[in-house]
Amino acid sequence: MKEKANNMIKILIVDDSLFSQKTTAGFLKKYLKDADISFANDGQAGFLKYQEMKPNYVFVDLLMPKINGKELILLIKEQDSNAKIFVVSADVQKNVKDEIESYHIMSFVNKPFSDEKAQSICQMIKDDQNVCK
Amino acid sequence: MCVNDFKYDILNELFNVGVGKAASLLSEIISKTILLNIPQIKILNRKDHELNLEDYLPKVLDGTLMVSSISFKERLTGKANLIFPAKEMRTFINLCLNKTDDNISDDMNFTDIDFDVIKEIGNIILNCILGEIGNHLDMKLDYTLPEVQVFDRIDFDKDIKRDECKSIIILYITFVIDGTEIRGAVLVDLTLNSLNELMKNLNLIEDEFNG
Repeated sequence: MKEKANNMIKILIVDDSLFSQKTTAGFLKKYLKDADISFANDGQAGFLKYQEMKPNYVFVDLLMPKINGKELILLIKEQDSNAKIFVVSADVQKNVKDEIESYHIMSFVNKPFSDEKAQSICQMIKDDQNVCK
Repeated sequence: MCVNDFKYDILNELFNVGVGKAASLLSEIISKTILLNIPQIKILNRKDHELNLEDYLPKVLDGTLMVSSISFKERLTGKANLIFPAKEMRTFINLCLNKTDDNISDDMNFTDIDFDVIKEIGNIILNCILGEIGNHLDMKLDYTLPEVQVFDRIDFDKDIKRDECKSIIILYITFVIDGTEIRGAVLVDLTLNSLNELMKNLNLIEDEFNG
């Protein structure tokens, strides 16, 4: 396997829909040329992948089999309270958004992930990368 | 349960807002304008299986149907089903996947990717509709994973009749994409307690208006 460059931004997308995985990844690639994107199809696989690859950013859907998005966020935060998590969900309920935001995520975005949303999220990532340098 | 015109109007309007949002999101996905006819609702009560759903489903919902469903619990318990003719969903799936080949426009063999698209689209639409109701009436809903099934009309009628819920809210919706009308329905199956809970919250809104 080819060695990944050190300056690549490692992103993990956890979503049980391949359609959403591809949509999210496609838009992120457009605005983050140096993104190395990996995928997981449910919360359980997502947590294992998180531990294995230690991504810089995680994109999490909420409604997923095995371990749902909320549980996954809590598991990740328990291991790394500074983990940078974006939630991409179809759930438009205000109280769900409020609860998830209380777990100190980077942002809560409603599906579908669009060009406009990707631009704003990628800008957040770029700004965050500049702060971390 | 007797639902007065004003409560019907409030509920219709809440569903209307949800469907409007759903149409706007779908339009983002396929990068096309979606025109929407104003949705109309009906509330049906099942008494000893007397209810004949066939009388209420639009005539266009015949033949093979694609049904995307999501169940919910907490303040309201039930199941929401998004129903469209499979042939029209094929057009929609092709638009989502940017497929333009004429040969596949009538292909009724749905692949795993097609099902995945419909599951996700159904999830977005039903979340918009139910979430809007939940937000306005301040009722939190806990959803299960979305499902997609292909039924013929008769099997679908049987499946709905098997459900334990006692009340059904039917919402008739029509989208127009590129001049093509896609007519379908959303069926929200509710337990009797949930319908009562919903009506209680609608009463509060009605009381506010009436002072």
